[in-house]
Amino acid sequence: MELQFAFMGVAIGLGLIVIGAGIGIGKLAAGAAEAIGRQPSAAPQITGAVNLPLFLLEGVAILAEVFALLVLLLNQG
Amino acid sequence: MFQPPEVEHVAEPAGEAAHAASEAFNAGETIIGHVANSSLEHPLIHLPPLFGIDMSVTKHVLMLWLVAATVFLLVTVTVRRYVRQERLVPSGFMNALEFVVLFIRDSIVEPNVGRKWVNTWTPLLLTLALFILVANVVGLIPIFDALALLNHTVLHLPEDAFLTQVTHGGVTATGNYNVTAALATISFFAIIAAGVKAHGFFKHWKNMVPHGLPLPVTLFLIPIEIMGMFVRPFALTMRLAANMSGGHIAILAIMSFVFIFAGLYGAVAGAGIGLFVSLPLAVGISALEIIVVGVQAYVFTLLTAVFIGMAIHAHH
Repeated sequence: MELQFAFMGVAIGLGLIVIGAGIGIGKLAAGAAEAIGRQPSAAPQITGAVNLPLFLLEGVAILAEVFALLVLLLNQG
Repeated sequence: MFQPPEVEHVAEPAGEAAHAASEAFNAGETIIGHVANSSLEHPLIHLPPLFGIDMSVTKHVLMLWLVAATVFLLVTVTVRRYVRQERLVPSGFMNALEFVVLFIRDSIVEPNVGRKWVNTWTPLLLTLALFILVANVVGLIPIFDALALLNHTVLHLPEDAFLTQVTHGGVTATGNYNVTAALATISFFAIIAAGVKAHGFFKHWKNMVPHGLPLPVTLFLIPIEIMGMFVRPFALTMRLAANMSGGHIAILAIMSFVFIFAGLYGAVAGAGIGLFVSLPLAVGISALEIIVVGVQAYVFTLLTAVFIGMAIHAHH
């Protein structure tokens, strides 16, 4: 029974991670597209400025996924 | 190479899974057996312990050496041949190499580190980028899986043969947390070295906390900054390793639908699922992985460059 709760927690957690990362990436992409639309000549600088927070966000999401998987693996053994 | 105990535990059921696979298909154990390092009890090459550390070669260590040798030979041979030419016009592989070098120097290192320090830090970041890129790409090519198929169908080598042991699963060296931890340790010390070189030893540590704040705030910030110093390489470690093993896990999970459905509803259902669901999805994820492979090498280099730049331009 406890094992099933662990699985459920992992699944819910993974869903929340995806929602959070999706909102973050979506906001970044929307902002970048809008900024480039207003000022197409500044596209390289805008891309550069968007890249770093994008990767930091991705890192946080990946960390959360690793910990979710760890919960799963620790509960298996 | 030193391995934390949990990897050993993860790798252990993989051996059992190979024996039990004929009876029932266990998706989880098969996937972990593919992604994890080969077990420490049966290393590929036995070497004597050095300073109490077991130096035996496992799957990922072997791959690490192969990748390092490949990068070294490819780059040195190409560059030596180029330098020996009469007219310095790049041709063939040198074109690609020059593009990569210029890209890393001009759009990763220079904007972050600054013009003064470009030539100091480009070699390190270039080495990191090329090594990670080649390790990722080699992990994507199923050489060893093809060899395992050949062994399984044609050669029938015994269980303890070198080829049989090598071909247990995938070989993405950067998908192992120990490998990426070592790479992140290099960038951890590079960040400190950059700050020390630019500002001197004591000034670097003083720079980490912003100046001109009230004393309680400064005291509050010190532990946060120390934590941040360790969190950065930790995030680098996790990002690269998780991305590299994540793609393999996704592809294997999709491919194991075939065996799960074949076990539940018979061989025809398994083949149908494999042909119409698993194969297209796996091809799609493989295509995504080709992008991820390049992006992760880029990200690791970019973030290291950004952190080095932050240590150098600490205008607090």
